[in-house]
Amino acid sequence: MKKTSIWILGILLIMLLGGTVKAQTPTRPEDLKFPPLKFEPPNPASFRVVMANGLRGYVREERSLPIVNITAIINTGSLYVPKEKAGLTDILSECLIKGGTKTRTGQVIEDRIDFLGGSLNFSVGERTASLTMSVLSKDLDEGLDLFFDVLMNPEFRDEAIKLAKGRLIEQLRSANDNPSQVLAREFEKVLYGEHPLTYEPTKATVESITQADLKSFHSKYFFPKNIIIAAAGDFSRDQLKSKINKYASKWANKNLSFPAISKNFPQPEPGVYFIQKKINQGYVSIGHLGIEDTNPDYFAVQVMNFILGGGSFTSRITSKVRSDEGLAYNTGSRFTYRWGFPGTFAGYVQTKSETVGYAISLILKEFERIRQEPVSEAEMETAINYYLESFADFFQSPIGTMVNFASLELQGKPMNYYATYRDKIKAVTREKVMEVAKKYIHPDKMVIMIVGDWEPCNKGSDKFPGPLDRLGKVHRLKLMNPLTGQLED
Amino acid sequence: MNFKKGLEFFLVLAFLLTVARPITAQVKLEVKEHVLSNGLKILMIPKPGVPRVVCHIYYKVGSINERPGITGIAHIHEHMMFKGTKIMGVTDFEADDALNKKIDELMEKIYREKYWKKNGDQQKIAEWQKQAEELMKEEKKYIIKDHLWETYMKNGGTGLNASTSDEVTGYYVTLPANKVELQMMLEADRMMNSYFREFYSEKDVVMEERRLSENRPGYFFSEQVRATFYTASPYHWDVIGWMDDLKKITKKDLIEFHNKYYVPNNAVAVYVGDFKPEEIIRLAEKYFGQIPRGEDVEPIRTSEPPQYSHKRMYGEGPGMPNLQMWFHIPPEGDPDVPALNILATVLSGETGRLNRILVQQKDVAIRAMAMSRPQWYVGAFTFNVIPKLQKGIKPEDLEKDVWEELEKIKKEGLTEEELQKAKNKTEATFIRSLESPMFLAMRVGRAELNRGWRSLLEDLEAMKKVTSDDVKRVAAKYFVRDNCLVAIYSRGQGR
Repeated sequence: MKKTSIWILGILLIMLLGGTVKAQTPTRPEDLKFPPLKFEPPNPASFRVVMANGLRGYVREERSLPIVNITAIINTGSLYVPKEKAGLTDILSECLIKGGTKTRTGQVIEDRIDFLGGSLNFSVGERTASLTMSVLSKDLDEGLDLFFDVLMNPEFRDEAIKLAKGRLIEQLRSANDNPSQVLAREFEKVLYGEHPLTYEPTKATVESITQADLKSFHSKYFFPKNIIIAAAGDFSRDQLKSKINKYASKWANKNLSFPAISKNFPQPEPGVYFIQKKINQGYVSIGHLGIEDTNPDYFAVQVMNFILGGGSFTSRITSKVRSDEGLAYNTGSRFTYRWGFPGTFAGYVQTKSETVGYAISLILKEFERIRQEPVSEAEMETAINYYLESFADFFQSPIGTMVNFASLELQGKPMNYYATYRDKIKAVTREKVMEVAKKYIHPDKMVIMIVGDWEPCNKGSDKFPGPLDRLGKVHRLKLMNPLTGQLED
Repeated sequence: MNFKKGLEFFLVLAFLLTVARPITAQVKLEVKEHVLSNGLKILMIPKPGVPRVVCHIYYKVGSINERPGITGIAHIHEHMMFKGTKIMGVTDFEADDALNKKIDELMEKIYREKYWKKNGDQQKIAEWQKQAEELMKEEKKYIIKDHLWETYMKNGGTGLNASTSDEVTGYYVTLPANKVELQMMLEADRMMNSYFREFYSEKDVVMEERRLSENRPGYFFSEQVRATFYTASPYHWDVIGWMDDLKKITKKDLIEFHNKYYVPNNAVAVYVGDFKPEEIIRLAEKYFGQIPRGEDVEPIRTSEPPQYSHKRMYGEGPGMPNLQMWFHIPPEGDPDVPALNILATVLSGETGRLNRILVQQKDVAIRAMAMSRPQWYVGAFTFNVIPKLQKGIKPEDLEKDVWEELEKIKKEGLTEEELQKAKNKTEATFIRSLESPMFLAMRVGRAELNRGWRSLLEDLEAMKKVTSDDVKRVAAKYFVRDNCLVAIYSRGQGR
């Protein structure tokens, strides 16, 4: 039956369209006409709630699946850990749940969450920490009980601390083995110098961390007014609010003032910083400090970097270094951002040792070009349209959207960030792109860091014969032994 | 876009509250299907809301369809699918085609001189190389760089990517809901009219990609472990392929590969997001419908013969030391697989048996996990344990601990609590996997190409029926020495 109808349909189609099928099917993307599409971003205010003791939240009902996702974002991070206790937040990440609470051992908590098919994870970043949970909606009450118990009453029992230290020390042992990890760490060390942003744990600092340290860190930062909740899933918003209030009403606030942390960073001497590793490629970062994402030029910088090396294959560096020359799989440029401090700007590439110098020279040329020549109309159109047309993607995940809103508020950023996003992108002009390229890319200040094998890298190839000091003064860096913190030979 | 409610195609999740113990949500996943007359299958999962559509197309081809000499070609080909067609990526097709043919002729001469002869004429090679480079430079004026990629980007394409695995190759983009037609046009075009420009520089890119893997601590050893475990089946080599083959693969190999596997009857297109299925079907008929059906593709021939011997290997290099133990198990769909999957879940994770005993009680390891990987044709059950060096424990010291646990399971099976926990975990993980449209498209598309997308639900049902006796039985059957490879990796000199 079904077959017959398809067959008839087919004949009908042929009769109707006949030889005109090909002529009517557009063959080029330019020929396509798309129906208009309107999209307005969700408004943060309509999800915002304030619960007992000033605990804030962004809460969204989303009832298509029987799941609840909830995240607590805490305003704290590794930035506030003194140098001699470096690693404390790594241990905290691992022990908040595993170390148990006043009334439950870590094992009981983990077993129960696992039994329910849920997940409960905690991690501490540079300035924010988050506890995230996902449970089936029928287990919401039990899940919340565990979630707030862990958040409010952690005990940090010894076994958990011992396990976490053991794991961290084994990680440290191989911390110099992976070239991309070494490059990322050492590049930041040169740009930020000796600063809380770059403190690294050693065996000694890890071993010095005690239960009392963890407890005092927890009690200093974990209280309702220093936390924002994000939740999305299969619940009634009012009910969730009152369920959370049960915990929040018994949770006292504290007085907390964050220490002022220096925003003075060294001016590293420009040139080549070489780290020896016997591998068959050079891993390269070329750059200097960048900007904060609260900078009014932020959107122009995004568009500029999209054209320079952030827009994957549509960007100049990728097109030149990867696609034209076949020098690398992974190459481009990026601005990274961190809350309250300038991030970094860097061009990057990993290429076989002989072509390291050549690839660097091509990237430097692109840095210079975007400062000197206006970008083309076509490049502008692609970049701007990308940001405008992909905008709705920010809101694909309901919990992701709530977390984004909570993060804006926590970091004191304007809550109309998304509402004004497209207008700010549209306002970027070709002139503005060149202006910010000149303002934020400084060829005379480049730190060119290479992790690779010195001999073949320094020798180069036909297209760019060495030595590497053609690119600037060469500094040969030694690595710290990650266990002892002493320089290796 | 609006969506008519009450149609038969949407995700249905009915709940049964069971009397006794835990969960259970009964999961039902409904997917709207449409098959074109050329054999291309279209799968649709409407999810109204944010006006975006995840558009994926999967081909039933991967590194297991390769043979010695062309290992890595499935992945090289995936890269080359971004290098244009007869209409994309080129301003003057005829002029470009003429140049390209000349380049290919020269490169063929170079390859023969370089790779077919023991002592090829270096001078000739250099001369031809120079000529080829001149032609490549000339060709640039006809090439529109990364045209397909740019077209997707400026139309708001995100999640833009492609990937190659042992069994499947996928091409991904997520577009605004009003622009799905663009994906249909471009994907139909590159299935039918691919034209491989800049092949030789792209091979260089892929070799750089291989070097990146090589510089990851432990890579060389893991590549050897895999090659030692799979001796006969094409799972023997990694997706990236051997470096020798990457160097020597030719344009002809590539075209032959494309014509054989990139046919509509060897693919599935998946759409998840805010759309009307009728509209997707209309567009699919219009664009994909023009492509002629290809010849049927034969499944791979060589499975893995029984090992009948105990294999051991040792290596040292950078990175974390570890003990690996690999056992052959049957492929997906075999009745023994659900019990093996349950066992892996019970053994793994922070609350799993291995962690509890080796990490917490005995304090000899820092991490311990097991993985059940039934693939399409052959399967592996693997253990990976990282020793606690601080206590002077070496990876080889841990082997007896793993065997001890396995023997215990053969004798005693699992507790009711463990069994139920693993089942709950599996089911909840499945429900959670329906949240992300991209992940959902991936699971449904891949499953479709092997045993049909409904196998996702069938596997879930089969998993719920597993008993402790089933686990005892499969443990006794597969965890034996002459079905096992033990691989010991220590920190030290070497790669």
